[in-house]
Amino acid sequence: MNKHGTSAPPPRPQGGGDRCGSAGKGASLDALFRLFGRGADKLVLLTLLGLVCLFVLVPIVFIVLRSFRGADGLTLEFYQTVWQQYRDNLWNSVFVGVCTAVLCTLFSVAAALFLATRQRWGKLLCMAILLITMVSPPFVSSLAYIQLYGRRGWITHRLLGLSWNPYNCWGVILMQSISFVPLNALFLNGMLEKLDTGSLQAARDLGAKPAAILRDVVLPLLGPGILVSLLLSFVRSLADFGTPVIIGGRFSTIASEIYLQLVGYSNLEKAAAMNLFLLLPSIAAFFVYRALMRQTDRLAQAGRSRQEALQLPLRRCGAAGVLILAVSLLFFLAMVLQYGCIFLSGFLRSSREGYVFTTQYLKQLFTYDRSTMLRSVGYALIVSLAGTLLAMLFSYYMERRRVPGRHFFDCLVTLPYMIPGTCFGIGYILAFNHPPLKLTGTAVIVLANMLFKQLPTTTKICSAALAQVPTSLERAVRDLGGGQWSVLRDVIFPGLRPAFLSCFVYNFSSSMTTAGAILFLISPGRKLAVFKLFDAVQVGEYATASLIATTIIVLVLAVEGSVYALTTLGARRPAPKRS
Amino acid sequence: MKRKLLPLLLALSMVLALAACGGGQSAATPTPEATPSAAPSAAPTPEADPTPEPAPALSGTMKVVATSEDYVALFDVFTQETGVKVELLSMSSGEVLSKLRAEGGTPSADLWFGGGIDAFMSAKEDGLLEQVTFDASADLADTYKDADGYWFSKGITIVGFLVNDALAQELSLTAPASWADLTKPEYAGEIIMSNPAVSGTNYAVVNALLQTLGDEEGWTYFEALNENIAYYGKRGSDPLNKTGAGEYAIGISYIDRGVEAQAQEKGLTIVYPSDGIPWVPEGVAVFKNAENVEAAKYFVEWLFSSDENLRMLADIDKKDGAKLVKPSLEGVELGYDTGILMKEDLSLFGSQRTEILERFETLMGDKAADE
Repeated sequence: MNKHGTSAPPPRPQGGGDRCGSAGKGASLDALFRLFGRGADKLVLLTLLGLVCLFVLVPIVFIVLRSFRGADGLTLEFYQTVWQQYRDNLWNSVFVGVCTAVLCTLFSVAAALFLATRQRWGKLLCMAILLITMVSPPFVSSLAYIQLYGRRGWITHRLLGLSWNPYNCWGVILMQSISFVPLNALFLNGMLEKLDTGSLQAARDLGAKPAAILRDVVLPLLGPGILVSLLLSFVRSLADFGTPVIIGGRFSTIASEIYLQLVGYSNLEKAAAMNLFLLLPSIAAFFVYRALMRQTDRLAQAGRSRQEALQLPLRRCGAAGVLILAVSLLFFLAMVLQYGCIFLSGFLRSSREGYVFTTQYLKQLFTYDRSTMLRSVGYALIVSLAGTLLAMLFSYYMERRRVPGRHFFDCLVTLPYMIPGTCFGIGYILAFNHPPLKLTGTAVIVLANMLFKQLPTTTKICSAALAQVPTSLERAVRDLGGGQWSVLRDVIFPGLRPAFLSCFVYNFSSSMTTAGAILFLISPGRKLAVFKLFDAVQVGEYATASLIATTIIVLVLAVEGSVYALTTLGARRPAPKRS
Repeated sequence: MKRKLLPLLLALSMVLALAACGGGQSAATPTPEATPSAAPSAAPTPEADPTPEPAPALSGTMKVVATSEDYVALFDVFTQETGVKVELLSMSSGEVLSKLRAEGGTPSADLWFGGGIDAFMSAKEDGLLEQVTFDASADLADTYKDADGYWFSKGITIVGFLVNDALAQELSLTAPASWADLTKPEYAGEIIMSNPAVSGTNYAVVNALLQTLGDEEGWTYFEALNENIAYYGKRGSDPLNKTGAGEYAIGISYIDRGVEAQAQEKGLTIVYPSDGIPWVPEGVAVFKNAENVEAAKYFVEWLFSSDENLRMLADIDKKDGAKLVKPSLEGVELGYDTGILMKEDLSLFGSQRTEILERFETLMGDKAADE
């Protein structure tokens, strides 16, 4: 120990003034890690894998077991019924999934290209719309759709005088596509920002027309991202139950039928079997996704982000350019209308004479539900911090260390993404309702459920960011005598800083807006905003629902804004000191 | 350096926060232990009369799943009188039943308040409810309580039609007057009802009409009705909301004074079908093995023994059905003649549920496949 202690902290040449303050503490931590040596490292890894097994594998195993549980012993009867009864619904799910994936990706690519080619104010405005609409409280978007384009819709009926039936599969496809776009568009925009401007320049110098550049350079470079967007939207669409429940009408998918089994027939065994049925297309999609994700990682390594707009005048890109402009303008307009409608609905009271402006719902909300709102923010903060840390560590061990069985764990962690939230919640009740681990009725079960439901996405974000951190840096730290802690602190965590923000933002907004699992896990006295929202939608208090949604959006933006400010300020602080 | 420490600090704070949550939990759970001493005094109250015995020594928190949060006023009074804190969560009866089954005998709530009686019957059959006996239960009409005391009802829900006047005029439809009218071809695509699996109210419609018409004629009726139904809402409030918004002309919905007020405001006509009104009791029950069984049991006694409490409940519910449940109740008068209620054998509500819903699902599915 002493031997190591003396040689421990080699002077860090690049370390600026900001570091010396707590250098001593870092060294002692390093020493501590060395004292326990591989033990500490193993302990962290085992805790991590243990948590994943406990909160992902165990609940899923319980669901699987339940699906085989007949009145007397093991049975396959539920699978038989499900196969006979829900084949059509599976087909519906896949059909909606494919259409949504294609339509959503089309919108996303158009919106991303539009965003990337805008200057200053245009860019700022589009960015703002995407960031606001990325927070998408469940159900209210579908309600806004009915409000705007329904049989008595503000636009379809009042403006255009139409009276058509909005409750069908096309409504579901449209709403799902639109609501998945912001995330995909921001992801694609991130790729566009890292696009190698050299190849664009070269193409232009060689006399290529903008249309040709778009077709032969930009789109192929976006290729892997487009495929990822397709597959993610597909899987997300399969698991989404809220949209088909509200605007499907007679049309139903497996996810909406599972919801119906749970709230109508209370048939857990059948619901469990249906879930596993739904996993078939999801898992197939996941394997394609994995294969493709490796390619994107390679692509993402190239280039750094630019600040200036992409030099590609869409107007001169021929038919494709016009299509992109039209589609993206349509999309942004639809988003403004939809969210405008949500914001407005919280302050309108409908009556025979028309709409009246009122603040009564706002008053009600502030009188009765302040504590609920605060609790939601508290939970979301805990999930965001814990979830981000877990995702960083998980991706580090999976990507950088030869952990035995890592492919298995990587698949395992992705499963919650594919299961509708309601069933994941039931799995938690089945698994954690008896000693030794009785968690039902506590805050922990809700927090853990949110965290592990979101972990698939955050680990992907972290893995992608980690792919850009050269392994040579790690080796350099070790060669200079740094221990495991030094590697994490000086290489991995700084390398993951951009991912930290993305993960935090994703975790926070998802925690505030995901309803599925929470419906069954929440206990009296520990209500969350999203539960209030669901309740208001159930009862038909749309104004209250809209208002809760608006409050959620404002809260999420406020918290995310401050975290963004904190992290960027934190990152910039050292600069003036050095100069 | 400080920012390098940030992740660590964050991690630390989150561990602390988690620990705090866990700690709060374990501190809150042991409450029921305090109650056993109160058990003997709570169950048999020797002299039964409108005013129940002074509250026994109950304590802790009673967790309630109810159909609405509006009942908070009633529970507030209970808290004042007994010192038992009440936590209320609104859930539909189907969600409650699913949750109960998943919990497998260790429920996370104590009292179940409101919801179609069929769910309570299934729960009793699965052995998930606790027997409650109290003297004043003798005053309750037999039809509206379980013979063994596993569930009681706090009132009944009655069903009628809502017709959107403006839309009906636009489509030149005359309002239907009876269940038989609903199958007329002119109403095609203009009627909305909720899926009977989700809505206890609409399940009552199906079961009551099958009982009245007989199986064969009954199913023929629903096949004809299916042709006119736009779609089956997956929420119990859909028919009211969709007719209220003018999306569909006719809704099959529960009717109470709250609906009457909305109908007034939104231009809806309420129709009480001339060939009979289906109805369903709204249950109240205590969960077996609940943490605070004693408080929940006492609440049931407290509610039904006092006319004042029942009047307050009727006021919150905006319904008069409590008068049927407890005929001796004063100060609540029925707004309708009991003669128009359909004859129903409630015991069939529970026993036929699975079979009826399965058949209904196939019936609904056929139409969906046609589109």
